Amino acid sequence: MDSLGYLMSGLGAALSFNNLLFAFAGCVLGTLIGVLPGLGPAAGTAILIPLTFNLDATGAIIMLCAIYYGAMYGGTITSVLINVPGEAASVVTCIDGYQMAKQGRAGSALAIAAIGSFVGGIVATILLVAVAAPLASLALKFGPAEFFALMVAGLCLVVGLAGRNILAALLMTALGLLLSLIGMDPVRGAPRFTFGIEELYDGIGFVPVVMGLFGVGELLLAAEARQSHLIQADLKKWYPSRDEWRRSSGAIGRGTVIGFVLGLIPGVGAIVPTFMAYVLEKRISKNPERFGKGAIEGVASAETANNAYANGSMVPLLALGVPSSPTIAVLMGAFIVNGLTPGPFLFQEKPELVWTVIASFFVGNVLLLILNLPLVGLWARLLKIPFAYLCTGVLIFCIIGAYGLKQSLFDVWVMLGFGVLGYVLRKLDFPIAPAILALILGPMMEKSLRTTLEISGGSFAIFLDRPLALALLAVPLIVLAAIALRPRAFANLRQTDIE
Amino acid sequence: MSRNARRGWLVATATMMAICLFAIWQSLLLSLTDRLGPGPGFFSFWLSLLGMLFAGLLIFDVWRKPVVESDETLFPRGESAFRVLIIIGAVAGAALLMGWLGFELAMLVFIAGLTFALGERRWYAIGLFAIAGSFGVYYVFTRWLDVLLPPGPWAA
Repeated sequence: MDSLGYLMSGLGAALSFNNLLFAFAGCVLGTLIGVLPGLGPAAGTAILIPLTFNLDATGAIIMLCAIYYGAMYGGTITSVLINVPGEAASVVTCIDGYQMAKQGRAGSALAIAAIGSFVGGIVATILLVAVAAPLASLALKFGPAEFFALMVAGLCLVVGLAGRNILAALLMTALGLLLSLIGMDPVRGAPRFTFGIEELYDGIGFVPVVMGLFGVGELLLAAEARQSHLIQADLKKWYPSRDEWRRSSGAIGRGTVIGFVLGLIPGVGAIVPTFMAYVLEKRISKNPERFGKGAIEGVASAETANNAYANGSMVPLLALGVPSSPTIAVLMGAFIVNGLTPGPFLFQEKPELVWTVIASFFVGNVLLLILNLPLVGLWARLLKIPFAYLCTGVLIFCIIGAYGLKQSLFDVWVMLGFGVLGYVLRKLDFPIAPAILALILGPMMEKSLRTTLEISGGSFAIFLDRPLALALLAVPLIVLAAIALRPRAFANLRQTDIE
Repeated sequence: MSRNARRGWLVATATMMAICLFAIWQSLLLSLTDRLGPGPGFFSFWLSLLGMLFAGLLIFDVWRKPVVESDETLFPRGESAFRVLIIIGAVAGAALLMGWLGFELAMLVFIAGLTFALGERRWYAIGLFAIAGSFGVYYVFTRWLDVLLPPGPWAA
């Protein structure tokens, strides 16, 4: 069967009652997570993993993917109404979205964001269908040397492009990789760094670690500074005017392309495509002075790029098994929890699952549009939930998630420990994303490297004999060298991101 | 970088350096290579060595950065600090209690205590939320979602 045949069959499966229900539940929960300030998509996806523990693998992945892109959209609502991005990618939306809300145009801003997200998501999924299968076929020709090089390249891109301080990002990567080595040696079966603690023989659980670093860590930060400047917007008038449609359509098209293309590159955080799409709109606009004062194309470009990025970033995960961001790493963890290893072999071994999940992206984007256009007022009301209830509710999910996978109270302590660590690292502004990606990629990296060296009899020269592996290893060297030689250019880019 | 931030970075990086040093020692206790190729300590040894190098460079980098005099503190004080500490304490308490009392009773205490500590004063709201979050959540997760949670002492 070809890709289209598999997609059609996947669409049929995605439209089954159960899978539709999982996609719907995921969209609702994801939007809820995105709406609540202080909980980003990574934290949201992590804390909702326990809901999927006993679902079948397809349903679990469909639901978690829906949570992911639901959260990516949900962040928009807080950006527009209270000028607080629900997640980092919505920072750019605050610039014009909040100004529109102050002018009484919150409904239009949220509607165009929902429509832009829908278009970006659908087009990016079509492109994903076109790109993912051929890329996975190519990756099937990879040996362990190429896989090791690919993972090194992915990690280094995350370090180079996402980290504010490259040395700190490299150190966090090394520590994340070290953490992933706790437990039984995957090749020889010898225990490592277990110190006689029985619970460590299985390794440090990915779920408690991400729940701690993201869920508890972000909650502790939110507990420190409670804030609310909710605008009492008239959300009954949400349909954009003809002029607003005209201004937004081009921005949505350009945002889609930028978001999808940058989603393919590991390490490009969601904020970069939203920022680039926004800057492009401002540069080509005949009235750039309107930006920052409530220009609807600013909201449209950023939100479209955000959702196109979310779907585009699934390509490296599904086709190559390389997560491009912490949220995608959490999703990869969910695949592994369900006994699946994302990557080219998944396309070969479980094509019906992969294509059902891809088809569910179309279904999820439609559900998200249906949920977000008429129900925007309802979502806005959630912003009034008192912190005492929000915080306690999230912690209940974190405790269940940490405990539920292995029925181990030890994992609850691990979650709490990493929660405190995540809070401290955030306070110091240490980059956490590289450690999370390293934690998930560590065992596969070690196995690939050791298999490669066993094949070569311990000689690293094998990487020189394999051109693709050599080329992949050259990518991170070039990126890191570029940043080391021109640190100011990269620092300026990131500074502008924040401003 | 403020003086407090610099101190925080130096302490954190030095701690990470110590972890890498410890990992080097532990890796050396495992074999680095054997007749089949790289041994169990191979990857961790080289990683820890790289980690040490990065930590050393980072300490040097932070050390030479100019310090900006500022009153800004790194960690919160007063009410904010109380909220952070109470959350950490509540989760630790819940983890301890779950082993003895089971999920439902431990969560009942956890939810009632934490919502009160975070500012809720309406007893009926606290009670309803605590019952829903403990007995209700237990029922949903164990019966509907098949997730095993620690049962109460009466379950045996």
